[in-house]
Amino acid sequence: MSEPTRAGVKRREFLKVLGAGSAAAGAVACSEPTGKLIPYLVSPDQTVPGVSTYFATLCRECSAACGVIAETRDGRVIKLEGNTEHPLNRGALCARGQAAVQGLYNPDRFRTPMIKEPSGAWRAASWDEAIAMLAQRLGAARTGGTATSAVFLNQHESGSFPAFLDQWLAAFGMRPHLSVDFEADHAAMEAHRRAYGTSWPRFNFAGARVIISFGADFLDGWGATVTHQLDFADARARVTGAPRFIYVGARRSLTGLNADQWIACRPGTEFAVAQLLQGRGDVNAVAEASGVQAQVLGALVTEYRAAQGALVLASGRGENGLELANAAAALNQTRTAEPIASFDGIARQSEVLAAVGRMRAGQVGVAFVRGTNPAYALPRSVNFGEAFARVAFKVSFSAYPDETAELCDLVIPDLHALESWGDASAATGVVALQQPAMDPVFTGTRSTADALLAVAKADAAVASRYPQADYRAWLLPRLPGGGNAQTLAANLARGVAAGSLAARPVTSPVAAPPATPAPTSGDYFLVTYPSPVLGDGRGANKPWLQELPDPVTKVLWSSWVEIHPETAAQLGVSRGDVLEVRTDAGTVRAPALPYLGIRPDTVALALGQGHASSAQSPWYDGKDTSIQWGYGRYARAVGVNAGDLLSARVNTGGGLIATSRCAITRTGDREEVVTTEGSARQHNRGIARAIDVGDIGRPPADGGGHGMIPGAASQEFLPGLRSPVAADAQGELGAPTAADRGTQLGMYDPDHPTGLARRRWAMTVDLARCTGCSACVTACYAENNIPTVGAPWQNGAVYSVKRPGFNVTRGREMNWIRLERYYEGADDGHFTEDFEARFVPMLCQHCGNAPCEPVCPVYATYHTPDGLNAQVYNRCVGTRYCSNNCPYKVRYFNWFGYGESDRVQYAFPDPLHWQLNPDVTVRAKGVMEKCTFCVQRIRESENRAALEQRDLAPDEFTTACASACPSRAITFGDAADANWSVTRLIEDERAYHVFEELNTFTAVVYLKKVNHPGAAASRTAAAPAAGGQH
Amino acid sequence: MATAAPPYSGHEQRPNVPSSAVRLPAVTDYEQVDREIIATLRPTVGWFAALGVAILCLLIGISAWIYQIYSGLGVAGYNPPVMWGVYIITFVFWVGIGHAGTLISAILYLFRAGFRTSIYRCAEAMTVFAVMTAGLFPILHLGRPWKFFWLIPYPNWRLLWPQFKSPLVWDVFAILTYLTVSSTFLYIGLIPDIAVLRDREKNPVRKRIYAIMSLGWRNSDTEWRHFTRAYLFLAAFSTPLVLSVHSVVSFDFAMALTPGWHATIFPPYFVAGAIFSGIGMVFTIIIPIRKYFKLQHYVTLNDLDAAAKLCLFTSMVVGLAYLTEFQIAWMSGNTYEQEYFWNRLFGQWAWAAWIMIICNMVLPLSLFSQKLRRNPAWLFILSIFINIGMWFERFVIVVPSLSHEFEPWQWTTYAPTFVDYAILLGSFGWFFMWFLLFIKQLPVIAIAELKEVLPPRRRHPHREVYEHSLDEGIAHPQVTGEHELPGGRH
Repeated sequence: MSEPTRAGVKRREFLKVLGAGSAAAGAVACSEPTGKLIPYLVSPDQTVPGVSTYFATLCRECSAACGVIAETRDGRVIKLEGNTEHPLNRGALCARGQAAVQGLYNPDRFRTPMIKEPSGAWRAASWDEAIAMLAQRLGAARTGGTATSAVFLNQHESGSFPAFLDQWLAAFGMRPHLSVDFEADHAAMEAHRRAYGTSWPRFNFAGARVIISFGADFLDGWGATVTHQLDFADARARVTGAPRFIYVGARRSLTGLNADQWIACRPGTEFAVAQLLQGRGDVNAVAEASGVQAQVLGALVTEYRAAQGALVLASGRGENGLELANAAAALNQTRTAEPIASFDGIARQSEVLAAVGRMRAGQVGVAFVRGTNPAYALPRSVNFGEAFARVAFKVSFSAYPDETAELCDLVIPDLHALESWGDASAATGVVALQQPAMDPVFTGTRSTADALLAVAKADAAVASRYPQADYRAWLLPRLPGGGNAQTLAANLARGVAAGSLAARPVTSPVAAPPATPAPTSGDYFLVTYPSPVLGDGRGANKPWLQELPDPVTKVLWSSWVEIHPETAAQLGVSRGDVLEVRTDAGTVRAPALPYLGIRPDTVALALGQGHASSAQSPWYDGKDTSIQWGYGRYARAVGVNAGDLLSARVNTGGGLIATSRCAITRTGDREEVVTTEGSARQHNRGIARAIDVGDIGRPPADGGGHGMIPGAASQEFLPGLRSPVAADAQGELGAPTAADRGTQLGMYDPDHPTGLARRRWAMTVDLARCTGCSACVTACYAENNIPTVGAPWQNGAVYSVKRPGFNVTRGREMNWIRLERYYEGADDGHFTEDFEARFVPMLCQHCGNAPCEPVCPVYATYHTPDGLNAQVYNRCVGTRYCSNNCPYKVRYFNWFGYGESDRVQYAFPDPLHWQLNPDVTVRAKGVMEKCTFCVQRIRESENRAALEQRDLAPDEFTTACASACPSRAITFGDAADANWSVTRLIEDERAYHVFEELNTFTAVVYLKKVNHPGAAASRTAAAPAAGGQH
Repeated sequence: MATAAPPYSGHEQRPNVPSSAVRLPAVTDYEQVDREIIATLRPTVGWFAALGVAILCLLIGISAWIYQIYSGLGVAGYNPPVMWGVYIITFVFWVGIGHAGTLISAILYLFRAGFRTSIYRCAEAMTVFAVMTAGLFPILHLGRPWKFFWLIPYPNWRLLWPQFKSPLVWDVFAILTYLTVSSTFLYIGLIPDIAVLRDREKNPVRKRIYAIMSLGWRNSDTEWRHFTRAYLFLAAFSTPLVLSVHSVVSFDFAMALTPGWHATIFPPYFVAGAIFSGIGMVFTIIIPIRKYFKLQHYVTLNDLDAAAKLCLFTSMVVGLAYLTEFQIAWMSGNTYEQEYFWNRLFGQWAWAAWIMIICNMVLPLSLFSQKLRRNPAWLFILSIFINIGMWFERFVIVVPSLSHEFEPWQWTTYAPTFVDYAILLGSFGWFFMWFLLFIKQLPVIAIAELKEVLPPRRRHPHREVYEHSLDEGIAHPQVTGEHELPGGRH
């Protein structure tokens, strides 16, 4: 029986197709994409899958050159930690250091050498071609006689490389290079050299009874900040006998906010105040000039005189910077001897300007730029681009498509510091070693030293001087222990070794700069300062740093104009009104940000933003694969460059003057300020608490001071952090197998083979130490694969708005730990010097009685036996109820597919995703995430201990935030074990829980900030008499 | 027709149905009821136009949702920590609307309020479709909506259960229960009417469908006895649900710690608000229907007047709840609550709170005037205000609380985006699509109950036998022979 066949789809086939089709549709809709894990077929040495290898090397993000330990997994660097052996940072690492890996894996790095065609178009070139071109041009320059005038601008780095470079330059008949650092305070370094014999000494915070800083932002960008912070926090953490800290300056920086007292003098009058301390000048005249009340100045003088050991620091960025810095050095009563040698050898700004002048005059035939970006960092009024264009042949060794590289003819991309060999002076008698932590990310890049060697070898005249195969071969014998492979290996493993490097001679003082008249136009003073986060702009291409709120203003992904609320009210300006700031040198426009910590007659702008390119459209579109000129996709067109406002004026210390006069006008435009700040006031909620130093150890007058203030219930349960759930977690209620099942039932079995139930992970945050520097935030981003969300294209097609930080203005930033900054005082809108800032790192409190846990309908968040509030990403369906019920608001939602590479919101474009921590999940779209107390570190340590058949040692490991913290404010550990430091700290009398009255039984314990009002009150009374003496 | 009063004057009709003379003076007989109500089922250009608009709105909503699923919830206006927004607001809004139907058909039935007769079918259908609409929102507000079934306790090899402490799981049960019961209730009430349609239908396909749906209803005495008992039972069964479902929905908020949510007043407050909003929506729907299909003589001004009184009453309950919240916050000594409520009334969200207060507390006071209560145009306008006001009530509960919580550093704002609005619009499209389809397939006014109001057409009045079962507590005519029963045509 044959059925007549019909054309078309048969019923069964149709059903099959239908079934398969809908199954496929269902599968596409319902499952996350799966990837493949391919292990090594033949594993390289030192590489064990899933186990980290650690390399001691150096951070080159600023001139300090701190030691870092690079954690690598399968041959890729995934995280940087401070090197505990290194004398400068002693295990800590700042946010910029943490973000170095994003420089390493920056998607905008040059992949190959680039040559600019005569047409102006760029093309990729082979190494042979690039080296040949450079060798040929150098040979031509030497024969043409222009070699002697060549300029080599190198980002300052301490170590052997400068000597190598000078040697190489000399071989080609060129003059020594200029070691450039646009962040450096040249006048202060000049004063330091005169007073202490070194460009940067290690200041004696511990020995100080009072610290007086004249605008010296030693916690945010002035010199070796991590070293300062460690020493400062240690000194202040003594609580009793800690130095009082007075900040003198027109703008309260992060350092200023850490001060106990702010004396807001007019910009430029710091010197007069310092002279007052030296016993010169009339207090009333100085009060008149500086805008500070005479009795305040009088009290300052009295306090200085009375202090047995005053540490006086001064910034040299002002008009009379060198004089001020000299005065400060003279006033400094503490013994400050030990040098931080890595700052030696930085060329003065005036020398750089002189070199630019020679370029402008057409006297320079060849110019090299490596690691530094003068086209961006020099004030626009210098007109670097125009001068640079007159140089016949310009070579950039930059790894990134920055403004200077764009002006060059040839780009020979350098390796990142984490891929390079090197060394640095760490302290007297200590050399820090830099070794590659991994093979180069891009095979088309090569270290500048190796490129220079290749050029030398290609040149018959100098080839004989360089028998070494590469820079490594040149360098290793020169390192301490270089003669002995074993010693060298041991030294490299430690990262530091005894030894010394020949200091590069400090260039002779240049003649006093031509006296250009100080700008007088404009009603306001202008203060510019290097961003604590972005430095002189070098950090701007790293999304972690763009996403890190400025520690003071909490603004990110943009620029802003700081203006006092009183001035703003007078001008009718509110937050977000775009202001035009005009000086003799230039104009910028940025939204106004009323800030309490600035004089009413002053406005301030941060440097570091406003990278630009002539060749590129403002925004990266999420897909473009061409070179992202303008310092890469993350930096270009973000904010404005405050350097445009500065004129090329140099003070007697050889540094550019960072202050000016300016006029401000409202443009009528508005631009939402991108900030993470909600309310800057605590509204009496006891989140950031403080205690006066005199009240420590004294029973509170009101029987606990708790009264009706929320957040101030009893502290009875503090020791051991007991709570119904936590106690249960520790097995106190008995095991489920107990006979009284159903009455005294606990959820967790204390005898559970995991042994988890006997621990209670907890954390203390000492607010007396915390300076608000935010290193913990970036460390957390690095450790926990937290996506950045603020890039302009990360809105996708969702909003028509394409501007940096737009997602942040919608509160979508993912900072698992955030630095809250609350103000106390100064709430009536009028100017006062008397207000206080309190910093609180806020992270998941891992409540013993967590409000988030019972509301999750699918058990995606639950309590582990060892006291962690765990989040199961795979189980989360995204109701977000947990966040609604969290009083601390520390839960973060994946609004977009930040981890999906085919989306514009992708936060880890190739090769940034190489940095991702393989121990931590990259969260999917639509799930909630939050601080885990670095559970991957907890489990790793537990597993290691178990493998080694031992118990966890007290303080054996810590979380990423605690590990990075340069003020050692965060302590993590097992609160159920008295041997861990955290247990001792929890019992401190300053300890408190945030929102204790909600009975959340948090595992994070804060120790109150300690204020040092000192004799302020009494001094105010005594001040008229003191003032009268002068 | 001029017959004497029936022997048992208190029991001759279903007691909740007043006499026809009062109720429906303009309706004469069963034939007219059948004719006029069934006439509403005839498709008209206006109906097609309305359905087209509803489906267009729905398509807009569906497109927005697909876009949202693809891109992530970030396309909506969420501004953390405002983690719930328009979707949850709209969810509560629709659940609330879904309360009027059951209230009118069940509670008012038990309370024997006669005015329910003409509007209850409409309200009941509205309930079912509103709950169907509401039920979508907890799913489409999820970060990963394709995992929504994890909220349902089903056996699985991972041995994972939902967290039964979570109010969201209670929601799942509450909503599903309510949907099941209210749709059953709707369907049971429809059976005699479907039988009428079956008998009158010419199209064989439709006739067959009606025949199946009428479950072979033959209009017999036994069927009527079972029907009335089942109806009574379901009414009694639904009544607690009216109170419990919205109480459970209110637990979504009341069980949380959030200032402005953490309040014991929420269950009664939400139930009152739900009934208020449901009655508002009934007005919004029934007044145009009444006008368009010329049913003024069925849905009389007396009915509207009575419903308006209920509206006024619930409005005052809701208003009292608003004031109580403020009073409790004021007396609590709790900074968080006080600051939140101050902010609600005078801060960032004052505009929303005042919309809520004016629409829900102030404007309904106009219903003290009988003239306005009997003015359908005013009732319609007022009902729109009530709908808006009740949506904003939920807005005021959800958004300002989350934007002004414990942690001042995280105080923020909130603005919905076009995706939020499109999905909100789509929900109205979805609701009205079902409703419009319903009114063209099934009678929007209960035919059988209307007939109960009318005097039965009797050919042989002397053979009429009344019988009532005392055990039922309810009497109804047991008619024999050629007496016409309300549920079919013979």
